Amino acid sequence: MGESLSALMDDEANELEVERVLAQISQDPELRRSWTRYNVAQQAMQGGQTACLDWDISERVKSSLQAASAAESESADVNFRQRMLRPFVSFAVAASVAATVVIGGQQLALIGSEGSHRSGVSVATNVSPVGMLNSLGATTVQASYGLQAVPVLEPATSRAYQELALQRQRKYMQEHAEQAALNTPQGLIPFARIPQLQE
Amino acid sequence: MFFSVAKRLFSYLLWAAFSLVAAAGVNATVCPDGDALALSWLDKMSKSIRQTNYHGVVMLQRDGDMQVMQVSHRVSNGHSSERLAELTGGGAQVQRSGHPVDCIHPGDRLLRGEALLPEDTCGIATHYRLAVTSGERVAGREVVRIMVNPRDIYRFGYVVDLDEETGILLKAQTIGHGRKILETMQFAHIVYSDELPEFSQSDAVHRAQHVACDAQSAPAQHRITRAWSIGWLPRGFTATDPSTAPSDRRTYTDGFAVFSVFLENLNVAVLAGEGLVKQGGTTSYTRGMRIDEQAVLVTVIGEVPVNTARMVADSLDWLQ
Repeated sequence: MGESLSALMDDEANELEVERVLAQISQDPELRRSWTRYNVAQQAMQGGQTACLDWDISERVKSSLQAASAAESESADVNFRQRMLRPFVSFAVAASVAATVVIGGQQLALIGSEGSHRSGVSVATNVSPVGMLNSLGATTVQASYGLQAVPVLEPATSRAYQELALQRQRKYMQEHAEQAALNTPQGLIPFARIPQLQE
Repeated sequence: MFFSVAKRLFSYLLWAAFSLVAAAGVNATVCPDGDALALSWLDKMSKSIRQTNYHGVVMLQRDGDMQVMQVSHRVSNGHSSERLAELTGGGAQVQRSGHPVDCIHPGDRLLRGEALLPEDTCGIATHYRLAVTSGERVAGREVVRIMVNPRDIYRFGYVVDLDEETGILLKAQTIGHGRKILETMQFAHIVYSDELPEFSQSDAVHRAQHVACDAQSAPAQHRITRAWSIGWLPRGFTATDPSTAPSDRRTYTDGFAVFSVFLENLNVAVLAGEGLVKQGGTTSYTRGMRIDEQAVLVTVIGEVPVNTARMVADSLDWLQ
């Protein structure tokens, strides 16, 4: 079971395995504690602050699975709809699992450790290997990128970064709003842009 | 009708004459003619939002979603107290009291025509093309409309409607690429009065900080101990906090736009990568990278285009 849990965290588990692991986690307090331990690494990365990160990932993955299977069961033409939905189901599960990858700092280390040769992308120095080159070309672009191996884990990494960007937005938006409220002519309106205001 | 138009034109001309004198004080450089009138209105806008007593209802529209909130602002004994209460969603409230009216932060100083940077030869008009036109009534008040078009691609544009009488910003639209409206803030109702309206009870009341005006203020708690700097900033942006002490955050403003840069040291190695969240005119860009053998996570949050956030993150470096 520990291996399955690890596979789940590594985004290597298939859908059936995900369902089985989550079912076990919800019934087994010891497994729940293991799950929590995986997330403790995040605390270290955050320097002790976890206030913004305490949502229950296992519940999220589970509900995304349930939503996906509900969508399938409602279908009249099951075979046709199943064929159509399968890629989306996989994506929903994968996206949820990607979130778990980010949440555990240790897992972030796993996907990104320097010793890992699973990816062809080197740890960049001030350049980004993915997406969004600026139109002026004022930013340096890693020239050797085209010569390197295709980055195997790149899609998982970008999903993880997407989730990370969302977390950081939640974490920092209020501090930004404090400054924006004092430096723009809109009074306290910048606070209204915060997804969830903390006291 | 004719007299009313003539009266408005005359008052504009008076403002223009006044502002030409003010602008001459800022810099001897000749600035485009149309800017003087707009600059004087921006100066009035910046002062009135901090010095006027008002309360009202404001709508904020972003990405097809609309929030409604109650706001109030009151000045007494040289200090302002203000309040915002969400009327939709979670119903959270924000309060700030005891902010000295004469404590002017960099954003306001830029809007009031101070040249904080040597290259700002025409104040805020160095970075935005400004034009004054007439606009439609907002919250039952006559307005003056100012078109604020960016002169480069590193900031958004704005259409701002100011109360013709008080200069209060009644409506602001943030305009992105392709003239797309990213966000609209608009008063539905405004009352100029000393009396404070009743606010609903809320369990979640956030007390907004007051960032001190002087450089002597104690730096906030921080985990980054090594000094760092931003190597590239869009022209016209200046730090909101004069302190140069090591900090996890730096914030910059050009008077209209504000963005903050957050830096975290990572004690694990990560693959370089980037993630993006956009909401209305707010960009939140997170980048994992390595600077001088140290893995870091940089997050740029603000009302700026993605490209600006990305280039700022690119330019971050340790100070030796």
